[in-house]
Amino acid sequence: MRHHLDDIHVDEEENEINLTPMLDVVFIMLIFFIVTASFIKEVGIDVNRPDAPMTQSKPEESNILVLINSNDEIWIDRRLIDPRAVRANIERMHAENPEGSVVIQANKSSTNKMLVQVMDAARQAGVYNISIADSN
Amino acid sequence: MRKKGLLSFEEESEEINLTPMLDVVFIMLIFFIVTATFIKEAGIQVERPDAVTADSQEDAAILIAISPNDEIWIDREERDPRVIRSVIERLHAENPKGSIVIQADEGSTHEMLVIVMEAAKAVGVTNVAIASDME
Repeated sequence: MRHHLDDIHVDEEENEINLTPMLDVVFIMLIFFIVTASFIKEVGIDVNRPDAPMTQSKPEESNILVLINSNDEIWIDRRLIDPRAVRANIERMHAENPEGSVVIQANKSSTNKMLVQVMDAARQAGVYNISIADSN
Repeated sequence: MRKKGLLSFEEESEEINLTPMLDVVFIMLIFFIVTATFIKEAGIQVERPDAVTADSQEDAAILIAISPNDEIWIDREERDPRVIRSVIERLHAENPKGSIVIQADEGSTHEMLVIVMEAAKAVGVTNVAIASDME
């Protein structure tokens, strides 16, 4: 009788599924996904908030217009502004007209450094609604 | 090499039980599959402008770089300005919820940036950001 039970036990053991190949596959998949997982943290400034309407639908006078010419000079309100003074100027104009958004009109050959600087200044002044006008 | 009888029992109990490890590995696998977003990298390094108020762009899916020489790089290849619209369209279809981050070099011109933004707008991507460095 005991001999018979042992036979059954051996049979059962051999019937068990061998998990090793599956484990290999799962491990390789795991390594693949760990390696390809790119936890890139991009920092940046949103150009147009998704909820912000397009610039065309707004009355002209409610916007703070900032011009950047081809020599990377910043003009606000017909005056040449030092890049460091942009924030103060936008702050002042924003206080006069709190609903206005900032519209940046940049020349085609101006650099993007100046553009981002102006956008940053506007955000520092508390205006998060920034649009870039088509320069045509 | 299996032995019958008592020895077989002893061997079996000495074997390490793999089931808990398998559980852990499976959960890790599911985690990495779910979090895998497959960001399309631009392929070049650019000198980004500094900004104090930059936010982290969580759902960035397509990175578009503009080199100092006004070349547009998408998905590790330099692209002609006339074809970027179709490239963005194709990449956007793979991940419709993702936003576009434009990595414009400090010295790149505004003209190229507008071309890229126009292309993104034409495709229907409203969430466009300009990459910057946190100061």
